[in-house]
Amino acid sequence: MPHYQAWEEFTRAAEKLYLADPMKVRVVLKYRHCDGNLCIKVTDDVACLLYRTDQAQDVKKIEKFHSQLMRLMVAKESRSAAMETD
Amino acid sequence: MVLLESEQFLTELTRLFQKCRTSGSVFITLKKYDGRTKPVPRKGHVESFEPADNKCLLRATDGKKKISTVVSDSSEVSFGRSTCRDIKKSNI
Repeated sequence: MPHYQAWEEFTRAAEKLYLADPMKVRVVLKYRHCDGNLCIKVTDDVACLLYRTDQAQDVKKIEKFHSQLMRLMVAKESRSAAMETD
Repeated sequence: MVLLESEQFLTELTRLFQKCRTSGSVFITLKKYDGRTKPVPRKGHVESFEPADNKCLLRATDGKKKISTVVSDSSEVSFGRSTCRDIKKSNI
């Protein structure tokens, strides 16, 4: 269960995992206010990618990425949504 | 598991965040959804089913209470903002 330290690496690996099989992948966000940390996990029940942070600046990045993934899931087959690069 | 409309889901989600300020975690799960309402039969013929492509399932829980909603393309944009806006408001 690899914990990523670099955000870029995490997003690249996560996109790859999602595009390999969109129906299998799920994204989990865990937020603890009392400890002040946010964790994002992307998994297809075989591989699991984790990124944890307690930095406020990372919240925005995680939010953007989360929306990006949602956009991909919701896009119709006919129009292939190109992934934006941060 | 309570299935809600988008707005109601957001209200309940905010409530979950407020409840967990002093202790506990909020889990939010996002998954692509093809619109099936019946489980896949173990054997026998698979019922003819048209998989929808443009939906996703959003679930949230605090360990006790569970809520969920289905997002399709129209409401998707507002969601991205709202789900994490609560986190930003709570200020890590």
